[in-house]
Amino acid sequence: MSRSTVQELAHGLIALILALFLLGVSSGLGILKGIVDLWATLLFIPEYPAVILRESYLTWRDKSSDLEKLNFEVKRLRNENAILRRELSGYKVAPDIINIIKNSNVRMARVSLRAPMSWWDEIRLDRGSHDGISGGMPVFHNGYLTGRITTVSQMTSWAELITSPSFMIPAVIEETRELGVIVGDGSGSVLLKYIPAGRGTIPGMKVSTAMIGEQLAPGLPIGTIAGEYENTHDGYITYRVNPGANMSRFYTVDF
Amino acid sequence: MHLVFLWLVEDLLTVFTGGAAQIPELFILGVAYKILTDDEERRFNLPAIWIAFAGGILWDLRWVGIPGFFTLGYVVAILIIIQIWEVIPPQGRTSGNGFYYIVFALLEISQLLPPVLPVLILGGGTGWIFFIRQQIYSLPAILICLWLYVRKIRRSN
Repeated sequence: MSRSTVQELAHGLIALILALFLLGVSSGLGILKGIVDLWATLLFIPEYPAVILRESYLTWRDKSSDLEKLNFEVKRLRNENAILRRELSGYKVAPDIINIIKNSNVRMARVSLRAPMSWWDEIRLDRGSHDGISGGMPVFHNGYLTGRITTVSQMTSWAELITSPSFMIPAVIEETRELGVIVGDGSGSVLLKYIPAGRGTIPGMKVSTAMIGEQLAPGLPIGTIAGEYENTHDGYITYRVNPGANMSRFYTVDF
Repeated sequence: MHLVFLWLVEDLLTVFTGGAAQIPELFILGVAYKILTDDEERRFNLPAIWIAFAGGILWDLRWVGIPGFFTLGYVVAILIIIQIWEVIPPQGRTSGNGFYYIVFALLEISQLLPPVLPVLILGGGTGWIFFIRQQIYSLPAILICLWLYVRKIRRSN
């Protein structure tokens, strides 16, 4: 074996070990998030033409198939729905709030990163504070709650998904007004905890955010109850929830 | 500089398609092509390993969030290409249809290994359809590289 072959193999081996080491230690995104965001921000300028091209193409495609009109109608109905939900919940919605909701544009963000190791926990979006995104904002897919914004940088933001174990929000069963807590199990399932036992046939009922706390607005649709998950025998049942958002097939989210 | 350009082109195409199409691994294909067309004996081999490593890390930071994910495939692909290429004596690297198949196979390694290796190591069921689609999208880029290689060899002859 020649000297250069040995040298190449040695360098190759070092590079391989380094790659494997990085793969091993960086399985949790934690410390890398800053570097990943910084790199995405740096690439924002060279990538800008591609973003513009893609958005122009999507606009043209939407226009050509009348999708724009339908999207506008969906937006109008969604805003109207939000007002009605608040009023049904017993809130008197101030006229200026109604105006804000009516005039607000449903914004869309693309999922720019969904790390395999934190697949059910969080996603990175290609919209940041520059686009008016702020911490705590709910994000939607198919009109259903998908998660909420946790960290925001200028060009990007991170959203925690409802399938994450640390995503805990109060929720209400719309038909019975029973209150519980929505929590993810980290493996793709969404659970509704602390529902008192003996409340009849609950599966199939709708779940939305509850008017408790200030984390999220009340009445945001989450999904429907699928079935019993666990009976703790202390008087409470945990139910599995079918999220309305397609957690396996979303490339974009709405605000 | 060409490799930086290829990395950016691959990145821009990925941004533009938004995951709707599998983009060929242009950057690592460029590194492989440069190894095969290196005029000075083995001059580019060592830098190629570290360029592949750096390009892989940057790609992982941009699109996967896990450094090492594609880097591993990039480095392994380049190592295999270098080892096979160096087994062939320089006098035999000139022409002949049979030899072009070898060049094609070496370029193909750069497209096949990076997406396959992480799946093999970490597990997961991406499925054959994904790889077939990826290979179909890569084919034009590989054929262009092969054509450039043939042209270069014929000119130098």
